[in-house]
Amino acid sequence: MSLETALLIGVLFGCATWLVLHHSFVKILFGFVLLSNAANLFLLSMSGSPDGREAPIAGQTAGPLVDPLPQALILTAIVIGFGVTAYLVILLYRLFLDQKTTNAAELFAEQDTSERT
Amino acid sequence: MNGPRSYLFDRLVRVVFFLLNGVALYLLLRGHNLPGGGFIAGLASAISLILLSLALGGEAMRRVVRGDPVLLAGAGLLLALGTGAAPLLAGRPFLEHFHVHLSGVPLLGEVHAGTPLLFDTGVYLLVVGITSKLVFVLTQSTRGLRALVAAEERRYSSPLESPIDEAAAREGENHRESAHEP
Amino acid sequence: MNLVILPVLLPLVTAVTLLFWGRPSPARRVLAATSAAAQLTVALALLARTLEAGWLVLPVGAWSARLGIVLVADPLAAVMVGLSSFTALAAVLYGFAEFRTALEHPLRLTLVQFLVAGINLAFLTGDLFNLFVAFEVMLIASYALLTLEADDWDVKQAFPYLAVNLTGSTLFLCAAGFAYRLFGTLNFADLAARAAAQPEDPRVIALALWLLVVFGLKAGLFPLYYWLPNSYPILPAPLAALFSGMLTKVGVYVLLRTFGTVLPHGLTGVHTLLAWLAGATMILGVLGALSRNFIRGILSYHILSQIGFMVLAIGLFTELAFAASIFYIIHHIIVKSSLFLIGGTAALLSRTDNLDRMGNLWRHAPGLGVLFLLQALSLAGLPPLSGFWGKYAILVVGLEQGEYVLVALAIVASILTLVSMLKIWNAAFWADAPEPAATQQDPRGRWMNRVTTGMVLVSLAVGLGAEGVFRVAQQAAARARDQAGYLRAVHAVVTKDAPDRP
Repeated sequence: MSLETALLIGVLFGCATWLVLHHSFVKILFGFVLLSNAANLFLLSMSGSPDGREAPIAGQTAGPLVDPLPQALILTAIVIGFGVTAYLVILLYRLFLDQKTTNAAELFAEQDTSERT
Repeated sequence: MNGPRSYLFDRLVRVVFFLLNGVALYLLLRGHNLPGGGFIAGLASAISLILLSLALGGEAMRRVVRGDPVLLAGAGLLLALGTGAAPLLAGRPFLEHFHVHLSGVPLLGEVHAGTPLLFDTGVYLLVVGITSKLVFVLTQSTRGLRALVAAEERRYSSPLESPIDEAAAREGENHRESAHEP
Repeated sequence: MNLVILPVLLPLVTAVTLLFWGRPSPARRVLAATSAAAQLTVALALLARTLEAGWLVLPVGAWSARLGIVLVADPLAAVMVGLSSFTALAAVLYGFAEFRTALEHPLRLTLVQFLVAGINLAFLTGDLFNLFVAFEVMLIASYALLTLEADDWDVKQAFPYLAVNLTGSTLFLCAAGFAYRLFGTLNFADLAARAAAQPEDPRVIALALWLLVVFGLKAGLFPLYYWLPNSYPILPAPLAALFSGMLTKVGVYVLLRTFGTVLPHGLTGVHTLLAWLAGATMILGVLGALSRNFIRGILSYHILSQIGFMVLAIGLFTELAFAASIFYIIHHIIVKSSLFLIGGTAALLSRTDNLDRMGNLWRHAPGLGVLFLLQALSLAGLPPLSGFWGKYAILVVGLEQGEYVLVALAIVASILTLVSMLKIWNAAFWADAPEPAATQQDPRGRWMNRVTTGMVLVSLAVGLGAEGVFRVAQQAAARARDQAGYLRAVHAVVTKDAPDRP
């Protein structure tokens, strides 16, 4: 089980990196979405209970329980990822409207960073 | 809304809209100790609004959420913060919550109510407000329609970008020149 | 105890109130300024209390550290909160001078308050995941501010900033998950206690390196700094001052916090790596500054060079080095923010930011010239200005540790800093302008100068009262490195779940 999860996380991170390194805005966008999903899966895979440590739950616990903390973390991370992805979509859309291109390489093609306007 | 509408989709969404909001309310109320809560309920409501805008156009969403959704979100944030800050007045730690447990309430039986519900309601409003605004702006602007009404434009956009009055426009020109290079 | 939440709560409530208020008006400005002043007062009260008590712990929701989140204020956190409130106040006031009310962007003040809330939460949190949340609040506000008043060219520069920070956040999230798997907790105090039990574990070193990458990216450390010098210059002057003063310093603060409070002190290899990365950042940053030809670009590269000094002190890792780093942070935030403000005023008066087309400012605005000279010399490290004492302390520690190469690099970087500052001075203030009528008088400049003068006076006070400030820095350093005391303070707090830990 843990080997499959590890492989899946690796594949997801690999694909995400591959996509992010593209020039196309859409591929970059999907890359970042995939990246945050890979990170969430990574968090989930960290949620086992090694070394017999108890989950942070108040009160008596009847029987073994799944550690809820990584799930709470993932939920938070999803919320944040949702907001940032929405911002990224709008930013890319505005870049497309301004520059009439969806190619990141063209975007920075003739840039001279020492001059502002 | 461009293009022809689907009759089936249209009718379906009118029903599903209420169904989804019922589910959202259910999720919101049970969220304290069971799966659910303000965020997920807010997403359910937001999905109902998105469906509505897909089926009936962006204006239909405006008829449901009157006024500016961002202000709804602001009110939600204020409610959540207020619930968190209320214990400060009693000298208790931030975000501490309190409950009442009532039994023998007619129709409902046992009721377990507490301040987390208020907090969740705040989160619910925040999520609904932000998500619906986001989708509305995105759908309107990709269709080339106006995403903001005039009142909102004054609230969100720079006067230098879209001058409201003549004086501001002149000042804006001056400023542009002085901030950048002549 | 509840004083600890106020630096986060006040900006949030102010932000929402300003959002509801909508259109800019003088009364709205009064509210924003009052709130910023109130935040500064709270921060100073917090500093006074922490200097007395050591640690103030707030268990959020009255849950203990095992179950919930704690906010912890120690002198270091309180100093940082004070600096962020001070910078925010100055940026807000300067922004008032820059625009008439009718021209102010309605969302600017709101977003600045959200930004400050995120920054303050990052300083006060006692929990690794909450730190992630604070970073995200701060970053999302900063993305919005970066593109808020941007034109087409500016928006292009925001894209690399977003991409880099998005990647950094993902890495941070993974690091938090890794830390949880390793130690079964995310609380700083418990992390420290459990990490100390297994100092030789290679996984602890891996975690340290991982966090070094994440926070080095935020702080702008070599080789992860390329996003910074192109994104900061697109901001309007007051926001650039706030960003350059606070955002990268959050990264430095977190490096201090993780290496001082959380991770075991025996990770010598990682500390050495940190020191050498800092040395490289110092030199490359200042060389980048020399290559630029517009004021904000030069100043943006200087941020990197100065980050190098602070991180070098962290890497040297004695208690005195920590104190020197904290003193340097105090000095740097005030000086760097005021330099951005001065640069903004100079650009307003000359109607350009490009050194080739500026000139003669000394004759038209002698007051501005004096302010610039004081802050530039302070940045370069001339006595008795504040920069000298910070650099002196770091160099002394470096010599004590026998790191002669790093000390030499630091001295070279200081000299080059002076050279690049003189470049601005010569071109913008001293030389004749290529077009005689380029410089103009502007009534706004006078109000801007008043705000800047306030900052310069504080900066001078830091330099002249260096002994007192350094004593505060020493106390902050001692508390930040006292892992046992931190653990005791976090666990001593009264909560509603039974204290069931061993």
